[in-house]
Amino acid sequence: MLPTPEVIADFNRIYEPAEDTFLLLDCLEEQKLFLNHILFDCKKKASPPLVMEIGTGSGVITSFIQNSIFPNQFAIYLTTDLNSYACETSLKTSELNLEKSGISRLNCVMDSVQCSLTSCVVNNSVDLLVFNPPYVPSANSEIPTINGQSNIDQDSGAWLDMALNGGDDGMIVTAKLLDNLHDILADNGVAYILFCARNKPDDVYKQMKERKLQVEKVIFRKCGWEELSVLRLWKRK
Amino acid sequence: MKLITSNFIKCPIKKCDSSLDSYPLSYQNCQLVIKQQDFNANFIKSMLNRLDWDALLRVAKELGNTLLPLNKPALENSDQEEDKEDDEENLNENDLKLLKDLHNLLLETNIIEGEMICRSCNHKFYIKGSIPNLLLPPHLVD
Repeated sequence: MLPTPEVIADFNRIYEPAEDTFLLLDCLEEQKLFLNHILFDCKKKASPPLVMEIGTGSGVITSFIQNSIFPNQFAIYLTTDLNSYACETSLKTSELNLEKSGISRLNCVMDSVQCSLTSCVVNNSVDLLVFNPPYVPSANSEIPTINGQSNIDQDSGAWLDMALNGGDDGMIVTAKLLDNLHDILADNGVAYILFCARNKPDDVYKQMKERKLQVEKVIFRKCGWEELSVLRLWKRK
Repeated sequence: MKLITSNFIKCPIKKCDSSLDSYPLSYQNCQLVIKQQDFNANFIKSMLNRLDWDALLRVAKELGNTLLPLNKPALENSDQEEDKEDDEENLNENDLKLLKDLHNLLLETNIIEGEMICRSCNHKFYIKGSIPNLLLPPHLVD
């Protein structure tokens, strides 16, 4: 078992790592060999992959990748979130855990951008994408609208609704990402996205196969009343 | 925000994707801070393989750095030497200096505050507390 990174943050302002987060960590641990193979061993020319986590929250997933999945490999990390406090926290979590693990030689660089999904990222650039979306089915009206001027940090409830509520089938936010996925992934890029049963991951599986991505359900777990799974979507070349 | 990130981000407005002017964003009124990082020649060398050099030149120039070569440098042995633990000694003086300059520019140069403007739609975004904010107002979200 690879260690879970430490997070020091105000969980009244961001999503606290929970079962869904831990499922993604376990999933990445199982995928470690595969990821190292496609992102490093198969490359003709060494170039650091762009690793991107959307809706990063605490940043624990990105920190885990840095410390345990690619500890000795060169990589560029980018996290995004609608919530600027999450962006800041993801950078702090990374720093804290890199320091603790004593990785002294510089082999990674990280930044965090406040934006929606992958809207600000150059096409064909993302080599590894991880997304723990707001997947809980809710009324569409319960998804807060955001804009560049409002500060969701100060509206205490909005960030949590944003982290959880996914509208119809819990898929409103994830569907937007899926629409762009093929465009933003680099050749041989791969995405890991978490679903609950009510998101109908089997339907997503079929739809995404038609969009020239190789899809596989890589992990499944019952967590109390939730059935969570992760799909791996691979733009295989 | 580190300068290297300017190589990966663009205007989030979808219709700007079709315009060559939406990338890179134009960086204006930026406040820069240098944060020291350990230098790793191999890391910078491998990074060269994926950088959009013209975009980097453009942003560097806006921020006052006009010392980069106009074409992406091709370093000798850049493929065979990757496995060496430390190949700083194998680089000639000029290449080593170039990699150190790039290290300073890409990884150590942080934009703390500033503006990012899309050359296609002229929308202005802000960098605050080192975090670039590329959220759109509701009327521009598609």
